[in-house]
Amino acid sequence: MQKITNIIKKTDRIALALLVCSVIITVLMGVTHPKFLGKSNLQGMLIQIPEYGILAFGMMIAMIAGGIDLSLVGIANLSGIVAAVVMLNLGGNDFSIVTAILAALSVGCVCGLFNGWIIGYLEIPAMLVTLCGLQLYTGIALIITKGPAITGLPESFSNIANGTIAGIPIGALVFVFITLILCYLLYSTVYGKCVYLMGTNMVASRFSGINNLKITMLTYAISGVFGSLAGILMVSHYNSAKSDYGSSYTLLTLLIAVLGGVNPNGGRGKVQGVVMSIILLQLVSSSFNILRVNAFVKTFAWGLILLLIMTATYLIERRQSRD
Amino acid sequence: MKYRIKTFLTTNEMIVVYIIIGLAVLIGLVNPAFNSISTVVNLSRTMLVTLIFAMCEMMVIVSGGIDVSFPAIACLAMIATGNIMLKNQIDNIPVAFIMGALIGASLGALNAILIAIIKMPPLIATLGVSSMTSGATLAIFGAKIITNLPGKLDKLYKVSLYTYTNAEGITYSLTILILIPIFICLLGWLLLKFTMFGRGIYAVGGDIRAARIAGFNVKGILFFVYIFSGTMAGIAGVTYMILMRAADPSVLMGSEMMVIAAVVMGGTRITGGHGTVIGTILGVTLIALVKNNLIMLGVPAHYQTFVVGLIMIIGTSITSLKAKHIANSIKV
Repeated sequence: MQKITNIIKKTDRIALALLVCSVIITVLMGVTHPKFLGKSNLQGMLIQIPEYGILAFGMMIAMIAGGIDLSLVGIANLSGIVAAVVMLNLGGNDFSIVTAILAALSVGCVCGLFNGWIIGYLEIPAMLVTLCGLQLYTGIALIITKGPAITGLPESFSNIANGTIAGIPIGALVFVFITLILCYLLYSTVYGKCVYLMGTNMVASRFSGINNLKITMLTYAISGVFGSLAGILMVSHYNSAKSDYGSSYTLLTLLIAVLGGVNPNGGRGKVQGVVMSIILLQLVSSSFNILRVNAFVKTFAWGLILLLIMTATYLIERRQSRD
Repeated sequence: MKYRIKTFLTTNEMIVVYIIIGLAVLIGLVNPAFNSISTVVNLSRTMLVTLIFAMCEMMVIVSGGIDVSFPAIACLAMIATGNIMLKNQIDNIPVAFIMGALIGASLGALNAILIAIIKMPPLIATLGVSSMTSGATLAIFGAKIITNLPGKLDKLYKVSLYTYTNAEGITYSLTILILIPIFICLLGWLLLKFTMFGRGIYAVGGDIRAARIAGFNVKGILFFVYIFSGTMAGIAGVTYMILMRAADPSVLMGSEMMVIAAVVMGGTRITGGHGTVIGTILGVTLIALVKNNLIMLGVPAHYQTFVVGLIMIIGTSITSLKAKHIANSIKV
């Protein structure tokens, strides 16, 4: 018994609360609508999770570093389009798919480095830079496609998101892999420690000998690479590339990060909390679909949940500081 | 005196003026059709609603925050006013504007409570309110566009201050609605320039703690700014409805980037504490000029997003480099 209470004490309180919520929703929905736990619904959820889950990781790492990355959706679409163009021009065989993925990842990296350089060197607030970035990258994507979607992508490419290994969608495996990499980066490297320190206090990190510009650029580059990964999954899922896919994901990723306990002022946030909030939101979203709730009500609910969580956090913190 | 002229010629406002003049000359040279009164009339029509948005956004940014909820608020005000008036057979212009303003003010108050009392970061609070509002708008009123506006509102569209007929017989008319943004700009200018309250907005944006110690009512100022912003957004929504002769529940969504771009181009610092009404008007003019006339330069329409993004990046970089330069020169 002692052991169990210790484990509960050690785990993140936010992650625990989210886990309890998820279990409650799963049980409630599973009892009232058995379709909820059916194979097709579970697989559908696992296909959708990686798309915005990886975007949410990008948002999370930028927020831990004390910034924000609103350009993620722009990066995702731009790199998805670059991948599609490369693939179509190289003929659509396996070699072209690998080249396309590498091209997309490097596009994400370059976009992220550009964001990071402007934020770190010119010292313009991250929010404004990434807002401009969103406009800029969407604009480039629009120039490449001239508006309509790029279609006719090879069959084997759409298997990346839609295919399964032993019943588990490949995208979900990619998501698990990315989660492990992110845990390693944040918890087991010097870079991770630097990010948390820089997010907590910029001046202190400079005086303790951390190159803030380098860390900022690295952070946004990683965030950009995550963005392009999500872009590849999105293009593979829809089997087409367009400049305005996933425009609702910006708010959603912000919501996930805040819900998962990432502090918008920087310096705090854990991978487990964010993973739990991704799962919880997907459960809520799926239950809405099964209950046939109007899609606009979903938008309303996201906004309401975001505001309620922020208010609750504020009230809890105020009570703690009083004690 | 010479120093004064030099500083005047290098202010942010003057830089925007140079860019506008350069762009206008360039477009005029490439396409002589640009050089006519119709351009001015069209430009003021495009600017009309954007200018109202930009004025409230400028005030919010000067106070150190940001507001991305105004398109959603404007859409709700537009469609709700349209629906209520049609259902209850109300046909009265002041009632329409008052209704829009009240809807806007109540949502602005929600923003203010979240930001001033619960101390949420303004971006997250207004994003949440924006999502809630647009979701509720579409869920309650549906995605249907109203085109049969009440008679008097529809008639207001045809009232014009000035009409111009060109050689081919096409008539361009400057609508009377242009008086609304002009009035709001004047009001904002008087408030920011000549009242203690207006100076308080700058003080809060510059340093919130210093403002509190100096005796400003910080919460009151933040409340005023966000409620003012919401009210103006509501009025802008009703104005847009009359201007377009239709109420569309999602037409304004996504315009927030353009408005923030215009405000920042006009020399308002995104970190707060700096910004002028004249600069904002110039910024809006520049963005409207780019939006309306890129096609005249032979640039395809799908380049528009990219060009606006580029202008935003360059504009903010210039402002930030200047701020850095000033910060360095004080030390020497």
